[in-house]
Amino acid sequence: MNATNLQTQTPTALGLDVGTSRIVAAQRHDKDIQFDTQLNAFVTIPFSKLTQGVLKKERIPHLVQDSEITVYGDESERFANLFHRETRRPMLRGILNPDEAGSLTLVRQIVALVMGEGDGQGKRVCYSIPAAPLGANEEVNEHEASLKSMLSKMGYDAHAISEGLAVVYGEMESSNYTGIGISCGGGLCNVCLAYLSVPVFSFSIPKAGDFIDAGVAQLRGEPATRIRTIKEESFHFNGHFVNKIHQALSTYYEDMIQALVAALKDQFASVQNMPKLNRPIPLVLSGGSVMPPGFRDRFEKSLREIELPVAIAEVRMASNPMVSTARGALVAALSEL
Amino acid sequence: MRLAILIRNALVRALEWRARHFSDPVDRLQFLRRNIDAPGKAASWSAFGAASRSIAGRSAHAFIIATVLALVSAWCWTLSRHGKASSEIHGRLPGSARAVTRRAGRHGPPGTGKVWVVQTTPQFDLYSNGLRVEEQYATSTAPRRYVAFVRNGPISRVPSRASPVASAVEGEWRSAPAGIVYHTTESHWAPFEKEQNQSLRRAGEGLLEYVQRRHSYHFVIDRFGRVFRIVREGDYANHAGNSIWADQVWIYINLNQSFFGVAFEARSQPARNESTVNAAQIYAGRILTDMLRARYGIAASNCVAHAQVSVNPANFGVGYHLDWAANLPFAQLGLPDNYKLPLASVNLFGFEPPAAMLAAGLPSVKQGLLASQAELRADAGASGQPLERYRAKLQERYRDAIRALRGKGAYQEYN
Repeated sequence: MNATNLQTQTPTALGLDVGTSRIVAAQRHDKDIQFDTQLNAFVTIPFSKLTQGVLKKERIPHLVQDSEITVYGDESERFANLFHRETRRPMLRGILNPDEAGSLTLVRQIVALVMGEGDGQGKRVCYSIPAAPLGANEEVNEHEASLKSMLSKMGYDAHAISEGLAVVYGEMESSNYTGIGISCGGGLCNVCLAYLSVPVFSFSIPKAGDFIDAGVAQLRGEPATRIRTIKEESFHFNGHFVNKIHQALSTYYEDMIQALVAALKDQFASVQNMPKLNRPIPLVLSGGSVMPPGFRDRFEKSLREIELPVAIAEVRMASNPMVSTARGALVAALSEL
Repeated sequence: MRLAILIRNALVRALEWRARHFSDPVDRLQFLRRNIDAPGKAASWSAFGAASRSIAGRSAHAFIIATVLALVSAWCWTLSRHGKASSEIHGRLPGSARAVTRRAGRHGPPGTGKVWVVQTTPQFDLYSNGLRVEEQYATSTAPRRYVAFVRNGPISRVPSRASPVASAVEGEWRSAPAGIVYHTTESHWAPFEKEQNQSLRRAGEGLLEYVQRRHSYHFVIDRFGRVFRIVREGDYANHAGNSIWADQVWIYINLNQSFFGVAFEARSQPARNESTVNAAQIYAGRILTDMLRARYGIAASNCVAHAQVSVNPANFGVGYHLDWAANLPFAQLGLPDNYKLPLASVNLFGFEPPAAMLAAGLPSVKQGLLASQAELRADAGASGQPLERYRAKLQERYRDAIRALRGKGAYQEYN
């Protein structure tokens, strides 16, 4: 067994993607960006000293509260399978889950897993927040303030960035940060049109991964966790569905894509002071829900079927869809140093 | 009004044009945000638009002056940024494949072409030379950080005056990898036959899970020639333990931090005389080596076998680990026969080879041992000291160097 006491270079800024299903931290270490990811989920199991001892010994992140042990982060999924339970989420549709007591505490613990325990030493961190869904501005404001307060208490100089804008910063350097960034996560699909790094509009729709999982689960009478596993491991858009779950997944995905495209069209129609774009702009897809093979083609087909006031040069996948938001948040944090 | 719009469009196009001169994404974003925000400290496009229209409404002339000033300011700011060392500008956020490729293009060692990332997915990374690195077992430890000692200082020879170690510790802190150590996993080994498919796959999966838990290497090449990332490239891996290597300029002590660990799923002494590695593994090793050398500017002389670098400080013996003590196919990996290189542990720190190594056939580490022993004898003669006393002094320097590294927090303890 090796123990290291080496000095490590301390990153000066961090990017943090606080998503409904995952929390991702991006830190620059010399020549590389390091990403640390944890599931934004937890599971509770009955308290026993033996279980607690095993968890401590195995260094499994957990909290002990009254008669329960809460296992959180990546390990929660393993324990959920072990105890035949569903994992629960501290966040719902992009914001802190009002139905889960102590959701902020759990998010804090998971953030500490990806960013490291200890004092933030005033390091600048840009953290993602969703764009407000229609009529839900106050909830997002409260969510933003809660996260800012939490990160400040951890010793960070925290600044919020809209998730869609973070995708633009993470993926659209080549077009001078002009284009449409879309992040389809667990709770929401976030969209941002930016021109020369300045956001023109941002919005979100509440149809994303969880919507698909829940819909298919209800339709097929299966647990949502199992649907998510099937979706992530074997679903694709090639038109030949091997079973009814895949068929249902395709239907719900179609619904999500249509809602996203329609909302994009509405937003363009309602925006004022639209900049004059002198050339076609790119559109980048990111987030865990865009991962099934064929998603890009299916989305582009739907997009081409509507008329937008701007020409789309290309629809492309993010270089690494799971970490685009965190990367963009890091770029934003570094640019403000 | 029309004039103002024309001027505003010209300003925006000028900003776009200037922004493209920034290769680093952070610099580019900084430049754009400073200049776009300038008219009204706008946080959104509508605010920016309103600010510029307001300016235009007040006076087109004033706007022209503002535009010219903004352009001059942008130009000066750009020049001042470019005035800094280009390495700093390129290195602001070099996690992107493009940044790394450009750097490799400038500083890549002779013999390695450009290699760049073609596609990155959660499952694999694909490189332009055909290398595909599987990501399923990727894990991380902590960022690489180590001290490299200057060889052409007091450490390269025992100086006549006492206490050379004070100078020896005057190396430099680094985070860039300096070389590659090749390993064999010495894991469960089934015959490479069609009938053994299940055993081969099971053994491979078990091995990958094991090395992932222990952070044993940066890469593992399984018996089907697949390359698996284990520890991320920017982090250290626990692959070399107590070890020493030196090139013409630098000395590296304990290579977990300074060298990549690349392991072939293989055994040093396979049963029934089967070949240690197969053609698929060698080809994968070749393109992996090419990628690492191209991206990190690694010298060919720093691509070596574990047996060449492994030492046992307890008895000052060379070759504590003996994987690839012989038959590492350097030529097929695109490298010169590095078995011929003298072992730094012997001629710089007085370590002694075991008899088994000297009895080995060729090609093997024996070639380097003989070369380093010859250098050691010559150095002892030049210093006018008997060989054994000279060797004892070198060993004392090693102990002092380790103490100095511990003092600097740059030493891993091995139990």
